[in-house]
Amino acid sequence: MENLNSEEKIIQDLLPQGFNKSGRIWTGILIALCLVGMFAYYRQLRYGLIVTSMRDYVSWGIYISNFVFFVAISLVGSLITAVFRLSKVEWSTPLTRIAEMIAVAAIIFASVIIIVDMGSPERFYNLFIHGRVQSPIIWDVIVITTYFFISILLLYFPLLPDIKILIGHKETKDHRFKYLFKFYNFLGSFWKGTPEQFKLSERAINILCITIIPVAFSIHTVTSWLFATTYRPGWDSTNFGAYFISGAFLVGGGAVLVAMYVFRKAYHLEKYITEDHFEKMGKMVVLLALLYLYFNINEYLVPAFKMKKSEEAHLTGLFTGEFAPLFWFAILVGMILPIIILLFKKGRKPLPVFIAGIMVVVGAWFKRYLIVTPTLLHPFLPMTNVPESYRHYFPSWEEWAIAIGSLAGALLVITILARIFPIIPIHETLTEQHETAE
Amino acid sequence: MKLLNKKIITLFSIVFLLAGYDGLSQDAQKGDLNISLSSFISNNKIPYVVAKVKTKIDGKFQMVSGINLNLFLDKDSAGTLIAKVVTNEKGEALAVIPPSLKNEWASTINHTFLATFDGNQKYEASKADVTVIKAKILIDTTSDRKVTATFLEMKDTAWTPVKGVELKIAVKRFDADLSVNETATFTTDSLGQASADFKRDSIPGDSKGNIILVAKVEDNDQYGNLSIEQTVPWGSKFAGENNFYKRTLFATRDKAPVWLLLMAYSIVIVVWGILFSLVDTIFKIKKLGQQIKS
Amino acid sequence: MKQENNSRRDFLLNGLLAAGVAVGVGCSSKKNVFESGADETVIASGKKVKLLSVDGEIIEVDEAFLKPVPALPPVSNKEARLGIAGKKFVMVIDLSRCKNLRKCQEACNHMHSLSPGQNWIKVDSMDDDSAHTAPYWQPTTCMHCDEPPCVKVCPVDATFKRQDGIVLIDSDRCIGCRFCMAACPYSTRVFNWGTPQIPAEVAVQPYSCETSVPQKKGTVGKCDFCPDMARRGELPHCVSACPNGTFFYGDLNEDSVSNGSETFRFSDLIKDKSGYRLMEDLGTKPSVYYLPPVNRNFPYESGLENDKSEKK
Repeated sequence: MENLNSEEKIIQDLLPQGFNKSGRIWTGILIALCLVGMFAYYRQLRYGLIVTSMRDYVSWGIYISNFVFFVAISLVGSLITAVFRLSKVEWSTPLTRIAEMIAVAAIIFASVIIIVDMGSPERFYNLFIHGRVQSPIIWDVIVITTYFFISILLLYFPLLPDIKILIGHKETKDHRFKYLFKFYNFLGSFWKGTPEQFKLSERAINILCITIIPVAFSIHTVTSWLFATTYRPGWDSTNFGAYFISGAFLVGGGAVLVAMYVFRKAYHLEKYITEDHFEKMGKMVVLLALLYLYFNINEYLVPAFKMKKSEEAHLTGLFTGEFAPLFWFAILVGMILPIIILLFKKGRKPLPVFIAGIMVVVGAWFKRYLIVTPTLLHPFLPMTNVPESYRHYFPSWEEWAIAIGSLAGALLVITILARIFPIIPIHETLTEQHETAE
Repeated sequence: MKLLNKKIITLFSIVFLLAGYDGLSQDAQKGDLNISLSSFISNNKIPYVVAKVKTKIDGKFQMVSGINLNLFLDKDSAGTLIAKVVTNEKGEALAVIPPSLKNEWASTINHTFLATFDGNQKYEASKADVTVIKAKILIDTTSDRKVTATFLEMKDTAWTPVKGVELKIAVKRFDADLSVNETATFTTDSLGQASADFKRDSIPGDSKGNIILVAKVEDNDQYGNLSIEQTVPWGSKFAGENNFYKRTLFATRDKAPVWLLLMAYSIVIVVWGILFSLVDTIFKIKKLGQQIKS
Repeated sequence: MKQENNSRRDFLLNGLLAAGVAVGVGCSSKKNVFESGADETVIASGKKVKLLSVDGEIIEVDEAFLKPVPALPPVSNKEARLGIAGKKFVMVIDLSRCKNLRKCQEACNHMHSLSPGQNWIKVDSMDDDSAHTAPYWQPTTCMHCDEPPCVKVCPVDATFKRQDGIVLIDSDRCIGCRFCMAACPYSTRVFNWGTPQIPAEVAVQPYSCETSVPQKKGTVGKCDFCPDMARRGELPHCVSACPNGTFFYGDLNEDSVSNGSETFRFSDLIKDKSGYRLMEDLGTKPSVYYLPPVNRNFPYESGLENDKSEKK
C-alpha cells in the first residue's frame, strides 16, 4: 500500500506543472525577445542583409556563429541519452529528457538561423530542386534534417509510457486543458503498456541510440567542414571536425548543468535530480573541458609555431590584437575556470556547478564567434577599394536582436516542452524505484 | 556662331537662375558632338562605313549612344542617302551601301562619305566627312610559308601598285591580329608588295590545322580600312581538351563524382531506412494497442 | 555619362531600326563584318539582303553573315551555362604597366551598373612595410579558376564553370548563402547586401547570367570575364578601358592574347616574361596570369595619388 502511495507521490511530483508567476514572467520575457527578433528579421527581409554589419569581407557574422553554437548544443542529446545509455550509465536517466528537449530546441533554431542568414530566403526551395551533392551545405541540410528527425523520435519513444500516465492523471476534468488532453491522446492513446509494446519500444530506442551517434558526429563534423573546406587561415585545418565535436560535447554538457539546476529549482525536483547528479555531471564536464582544451592547443599552438604568413595576422589578432580580450575570455571562462571550479568536490555542489555551466555556455558562444569572424578579416589579398566599414565588424542591433531572439526562441521551446511533458521520465523513474526496492 | 551660342546660353542660364527654375537650363547648354567617319572594305567585296560619335564631358571624351545620323554618299541630298543610323552603346553606327546608289558608286573613283546630325535637345547639329580613293588589297602565299600582300589603287581605269603603304600581315585571332612574325607592320615596295615569313609554327588552328591569314591596311588617310583574308593549313590541329563534361567536385549536380554519389546515397539510404523502420515500429505499437481495446 | 544608354536591348533594337532603311548593324569598327573564317559559327538565316559590292555590283548576302550578329534573342540560360564551345578564355595582366589609374574598374562598374562602393576589379597595393620588397600595383579580377573552389561549394549550381573556362553566377538561382565568398581565396566575390542602386532603365532589363545585369538583392556578384562581349567577338570592357594596355585577353585555344592594340602569342609571352598565377599552391588553376613588375613603365609612387582619393 505504501509502495502505491510513493508511486502516486512520484507521479504527482513529476507531472508537468502549470506556470506559476515567475514562470509566466519568464515566458513573457522570452516571447517579447522573440517578437523583437521577428521585427528585426522583418526589417532584414524588407531591406536586405544591408541592415546587418556584414559586408563583403566579413560575409558571415554572428548568425553563422550562432548557428554553429546551436548545432553544438544539440549534440548533447546524443551524448546524455545515447552514449550513457549504451554504456549503461544508470544515474543519467533523470537527465535524458532534459537533454533531448535541449537537442530538439537547438536543432530547430539552428535551421531557423541558417535561413535567417540567407540573402534570398524566398529561394530556399532551390536547395531541394537544384541541390548539388558536391556542396557541404547540402550535406549539412541532409544531416540536420536527419538529426532533427532522430531527436524527435528519441524524445517520442521514451515518452509513450509517460503519456499513458499523463492521460490517466493530467487534469482530465479541467476544461481548460481539453486541448492538451486531446494532444496527449493523439500522441499516445494507443500505448497500453503491454510487454509486446515494451519490447518493440525498447528495441526502437536501442536502435535510435546506436544510429544517433554517427549522425550526431556527422552533423557537427559537416558543420566544421563548412569552414575547413575553404583555404582561409584559421579554418584550413584537418583537426576541425574533432575540434568542433569536442567543443559541442562541452557546451552541451554545460547546458545540461544549467538546465538541471534551473528545473530542479523551478519544479522542486531535489529528490530526483540529486546532488550526486551534479557531482557526476560536474566530473563529466571537467573531462569534456579538458578534451576541448586539448584540441584548442592543437588548433592554435601548431600554426602559431610555424607562423605562416597567411596565418600570422589572424593568430596575432587573436593572441594580442583586437580579438585578444574575447579570445582569452573564451579560453579562461569557457574552459579553464570551469575546470578549476569543477575539479574541487565543493565545486561540484549545485550552485557552483550551475555557475560553471553558465560560464561554459557563455564562453562557448563567444568561442563560436571567434571561430567565424576574425578569419574573414584576414583575407589572403589586401582589403582594397572598399568602403571603410568593410574592414571591421561589429553586429548591428538587428543582428543582436535576431541572435538573442533565436536563443530566446530555443529557451521558449524548451519551456513549452517542459510544460507539456514530464521533465524527468516518470515511467523509467518508477521502474528504477521498483528495481532498487527489490 | 559659337560665341553667339555661348552668349545665348549664358543669358538663358541667368534668366532661369533668376526665375529659380533650373530644370530647363540643362537643355539650353547643348553639347558639341564630334563625329568621325571611316570606310571599310573587306575581302574586296562589300564596302561599308562606320561613324563614331563622341562628346567632351568634364574634359574627357565619352562615346555617345542613341544619336540619329544620316549617312550620305558624295553629296548631302535625299537621293544619295546611304542610311539613317543610330549609334550604339559604344557611340558607333555602321551602314553598307544600298543597291539604290549603284550609279553614284560607279560614277567616280574617289568617294566622300558624309554624316550629318540634325541636333536634338542635348546636342548641337554636327557633321563630318571622309574621302577615300578606291583601292584593293591582295594576299598570296607560297609553299615555303611566305605571305605576300599587294596593295593597288584605281588610277584612271587601271589598278596601279602603291608604294609606301603600311599594312599588317597577321594570323586572325580572337578580336586580334597576331603578326605572322616579330615585325608588327610592313610597308609596300614599288611593286605595291610587302612580304613576310610565317614564323608562328604550330600555332593552333582549327581541327584540320587551318588558320586564317589576314592582310590589313588600317586607318589610312587616303584609302581608309581595307583587309583581305586567306585560309592556309599552317596551324597545328587543334584537339579541344576539356574537363567540362567530366565528373568532378566543381561540375554541376548532374556530373557529381561517382564515389561521392555512392557514399552520399548509401549513407542516406541506410540511415533513412532505419528511421522509416522505426516509424513503422510506431505503427506496430499502435496496432498492438488497438487490438487490446477491441 | 547619363545620356549614354548602355542597354544592350536598345542597342539591338537600334540596329534593327537602322536595318529598316538600309542594313545597319551596330558593331565595332575593328571587326570585319563579312568575315567567314574557318571557325565560322554563323548559321544562315535564309533571309537575303541586297548590297552593293566594291565593284559596283548588286549582290545578295545572307542576313546572318552581317557579323557580328548581336545575340538576338539573348542566349538562353542553358546556353549561358554551357559557354562557347571550343574556347578557353584567359587573361594576362602585365604588372609593369599598371599605375593604379583604375580606368578598368570605372569601365567595369559602369558597364555592369554596379552599385556605388562595389567593385569587381580591385587594384591592390602590394606593399609590405616590413619586408625589403618593392611595392607594386596588382589589379585583380575573378581568376576564373579551372578548379574553382567557389563552384565546388555552391549548394544549388548558382555559380558554375563553363566549357570556355568562364565561371559565372546565375543571380536568378543564387540563394545568398555566401559560402562561395568564404571559399574564394582571392576575395573576388561581392554581395548585394541591399537593393542594388542602379538606373531605372538598367533595372528593368531582362537578367542574363552572361551580362550579369541587373544585379539582384541578396545574391552574389563578381567579374564575369564579359562573356556577352566574347560572344560578339570583342574584348572585355576592362581590357579596352586601360590606357596603358595592362590587360590582355584572348583564347588559350588560339594561343593568343590581345589588349586591343598589341597582340602576343600567349605561350611566348608567358615564357619570355615569366608569367605566373596567384596562389598557385592552392591548386585552383586560375585563368588569369600575371607578368611580374619588371622594367616598369611607371614608378609605384605614381599610383599613390589615386589611392588617396579613395580613402577620404
